[in-house]
Amino acid sequence: MSEPKLARTVTVVNREGVHARAATLVAGTVRRFQSKVELIKSRHRVDGTDVLQILSLGAAEGEELQLEAAGPDAAAALDALVELFRGKFGENAEADKQEK
Amino acid sequence: MKFANFVVPEAIRADLAAEDKEGVIREMVQALEGAGGIESDELESIVRAILKREELGSTGIGRGVAVPHTKHPSVDRLVGTVAVSSDGVDFDSLDGEKVYLFFLLISPPDRPGDHLRALENISRQLRDDTFCRFLKQSKTPEDIRQLLDEADNNQFGS
Repeated sequence: MSEPKLARTVTVVNREGVHARAATLVAGTVRRFQSKVELIKSRHRVDGTDVLQILSLGAAEGEELQLEAAGPDAAAALDALVELFRGKFGENAEADKQEK
Repeated sequence: MKFANFVVPEAIRADLAAEDKEGVIREMVQALEGAGGIESDELESIVRAILKREELGSTGIGRGVAVPHTKHPSVDRLVGTVAVSSDGVDFDSLDGEKVYLFFLLISPPDRPGDHLRALENISRQLRDDTFCRFLKQSKTPEDIRQLLDEADNNQFGS
């Protein structure tokens, strides 16, 4: 990436980790922005628009991920992702729905 | 979480007959039941749970792959199976494309880590084009079993 990169660190706080639904939400969020976003765990760096790549990180509860974004709306993209992780990908809402 | 740790070999299907989402899920869960991977009287409950999960959002995650799954109290460890559809099935995938490769997972409610690790393994292997291609071209369940074995032994890049 030739543009300046912004970076944030997020912790996975939901019990199920970054599973299929969470990865889908991450990719969907990244796609809303123009900036290129990557997720990094240990030495693995993946494209934030790619669900399979995100799943391949196997990010579990308690683990940290680095988020890097470059582009005109990089800050907004990172803010949105941080919020997504903090909100546990709406996990409680999902649990409520499944019990009904 | 290697494939050998959760895939029930006798439940693998190399050419699904089903032509729609519910049909595929039902066929795969029936295969698991036939192989003794799940209890017969839990079959309907499991199929319903998987379909309910699909309502939250399709597990057709793109690139011709779907990972239908559910938690279910009747299993005490992660069980799953793999199936291939040669014609492809419309699964409301994220990329709008048909799905040819299915990885179905049923996990105990209290062990989210196992499910996540299985997804991690599945997705890592699928990032290898050769693995995907061979899987799609599989003619028999034995072909698929062998591929999964090779993947477990790191024959494909990760």
